[in-house]
Amino acid sequence: MNTVPPVILGEMPSLSKLYVNAAAQAARRRVLGTHNGSSLPATGHEVRGVKADVGNLTAYQHLIGLTARDTLPAGYLHALAFPLAMSVMNRDDFPLPLLGMIHLSNHVEQRSPVLFTESLDIQAWVENLQGHRAGTQLDVVAEVRGAGTPDIKWTGRSSYLAKGVFLPGIDKPTPYNGQTEFTPPDPTAIWHLGVDTGRAYAAVSGDFNPIHLSVLSAKALGMRRTIAHGMYLASRALADVGPAKGETFTWDVTFDAPVFLPARVALDISTGQTPGEGWQRSEFVVWNHRSGRRHFSGSVAPL
Amino acid sequence: MSVNGQSGTGPHEFASHTTSGAARPVRRAVIVGGNRIPFARSGGAYTKSSNQDMLTAALDGLIARFGLQDERIGEVAAGAVLKHSRDFNLTREAVLGSALSAETPAYDLQQACATGLETVLGLANKIKLGQIDSAIAGGVDSASDAPIAVSEGLREVLLDLSRAKTLPQRLQVLSRLRPKDLAPDAPSTGEPRTGLSMGEHQALTTAQWNISREAQDELAFNSHRNLSAAYDAGFFDDLLTPYRGLAKDSNLRADTTLEKLATLKPVFGKNLGAEATMTAGNSTPLTDGASTVLLASEDWADAHDLPKLATVVDGEAAAVDFVHGKDGLLMAPSFAIPRLLARNGLTLDDFDFFEIHEAFAGTVLSTLAAWEDEEFGRTRLGLDGAFGSIDRTKLNVNGSSLAAGHPFAATGGRIVASLAKMLQAKGTIDGRPARGLISICAAGGQGVVAILEAL
Repeated sequence: MNTVPPVILGEMPSLSKLYVNAAAQAARRRVLGTHNGSSLPATGHEVRGVKADVGNLTAYQHLIGLTARDTLPAGYLHALAFPLAMSVMNRDDFPLPLLGMIHLSNHVEQRSPVLFTESLDIQAWVENLQGHRAGTQLDVVAEVRGAGTPDIKWTGRSSYLAKGVFLPGIDKPTPYNGQTEFTPPDPTAIWHLGVDTGRAYAAVSGDFNPIHLSVLSAKALGMRRTIAHGMYLASRALADVGPAKGETFTWDVTFDAPVFLPARVALDISTGQTPGEGWQRSEFVVWNHRSGRRHFSGSVAPL
Repeated sequence: MSVNGQSGTGPHEFASHTTSGAARPVRRAVIVGGNRIPFARSGGAYTKSSNQDMLTAALDGLIARFGLQDERIGEVAAGAVLKHSRDFNLTREAVLGSALSAETPAYDLQQACATGLETVLGLANKIKLGQIDSAIAGGVDSASDAPIAVSEGLREVLLDLSRAKTLPQRLQVLSRLRPKDLAPDAPSTGEPRTGLSMGEHQALTTAQWNISREAQDELAFNSHRNLSAAYDAGFFDDLLTPYRGLAKDSNLRADTTLEKLATLKPVFGKNLGAEATMTAGNSTPLTDGASTVLLASEDWADAHDLPKLATVVDGEAAAVDFVHGKDGLLMAPSFAIPRLLARNGLTLDDFDFFEIHEAFAGTVLSTLAAWEDEEFGRTRLGLDGAFGSIDRTKLNVNGSSLAAGHPFAATGGRIVASLAKMLQAKGTIDGRPARGLISICAAGGQGVVAILEAL
């Protein structure tokens, strides 16, 4: 929980406006050569009485490969809170350039199931600004509560890297421990990801980040080709873990290399089960089927 | 792949009985309970939900109600009438997406509107024979999310194209394509051999048996009144779980009146010699929904501390030669029930509940009229006279398809679970267990009927 009272926004911010604003801000900073110091805004943002749209929920569930249930998937709650998280990083006092940030890892706690009919209060803030060998990193935290209650149902912590940005005073880069060795196991499944994977996820999540939409827009931001949304991939891995995980769990993902589209990626899910006690933990790893390069890995475990 | 080499929740359990099949006695199959989602008129709350979504939602509620998480069920059988070819393993996929043990086998079954009841009978028979100890029967249908196929012309071109080896061959195949081939082929409720819709078929039968508009409207009115009263009494509290914001069948009109029903214009049989009597009010609408029923041996139910509502006594299927009009399309149950009752030494007087599926009010009334007809009894059923009549106060007492709606394959499960609950509440009557009769008509001139009994 953030200690500084949040700014209450009247409605969920529009992601497309935030992206336009972020591009304008980037241009302004480039021209003026200004930056906003070396500290994060202490104030978070909050929107109250948020409700999922059932048509959008169904489209998300079908895209991810989930059965259309009445509970909101953990990845859907991330998408629901994402515009708010973006709005905090879009503040004038946010010191890093929003566009081009790299999603390093994600930690979610699904503390209780959330029905699509529930009214929710969502808060987001930023913290843990620190050096990284390749730039500066920070955490964006989102918290979903039952409307008007202190009852936290879901929290998500996303770590982002502003590559090549070094802020004065933030000079303790994390040590480089080298590329961890990865030998692909035999896959349990193969995903065929078409060129439109990014556009399809953008349509249900509202995340129209240009790097996911087309080769041209991705190139404009320095990418070779369109890349898949990290949270789309992580959400599919979570879906593939299956219903054994129950309704409350933690879900961790570490992103290694982007998935350029189209792609054929291999997946391995290892599930720990004890007779009589049921599911204990699932670990997943996804790699390029041809090159063996690891894209991301993570785990789902009881809360 | 698994960490400890164990792919499931535990070691496979093996049945303890070791007697050979010939020596194993037939045992009882009991209905433990059921769960369905509310039925929604097509284009309503479940428009974007697939068959797999709805079947899984119904399964989820059943699993939660009876504590079946991680349970390896003997077998799950369900089906859908309007089913996309990619859903070939619909039921198994729903099981894999549920909290049941992934080691639960499943199969799909399809017998038009009789699908749901046939899954109950088939699985009950396996339990009776000792092949399985537990089972889940079910059915689902979506008229909203119906599969649409490409036209026959386009389909042939696409298949030939995949076989063509050279560019000239491919171009030659493609040149056969005509604009009309691009029109999609949507499913219909029409009979392939007659081209008549089910409603038009029933209109012929309704006219043949002189069923009045008033009698049909009254049956529809009773269906709505009874279903509404059942909801008010909390009858469905342990038979249904909400889905997509719906907590009641959306077709239910609690405030409908005979006067309102009388104002509706006829929709079927408008070109027949007789007066057209079938309206949207006394015909079932296209509906989306799913239902499930938990079946078990008595030992399994006891071991899991679960209720035993009723037993599946017997079932019978029948079919009629409707193609050239010898019998009405939906009249097969009027033959199946006399055969089933004769085999069990029972008459219509031996039943406390009649669940006759209301495909159309005219279907129920034509069936009852046929049973009361001396000539039909003599010439068609081979009896000395009329088969008999039923006490109308025992008919569809908690409402039926006219009010609830009729997602084709889901109707059987709805009726079986509801009737089992009513039988358990009734208990014993005159020293015998309460007894109920189910009758479901189906496309293709078929019908499946069954007897349930309180324990």
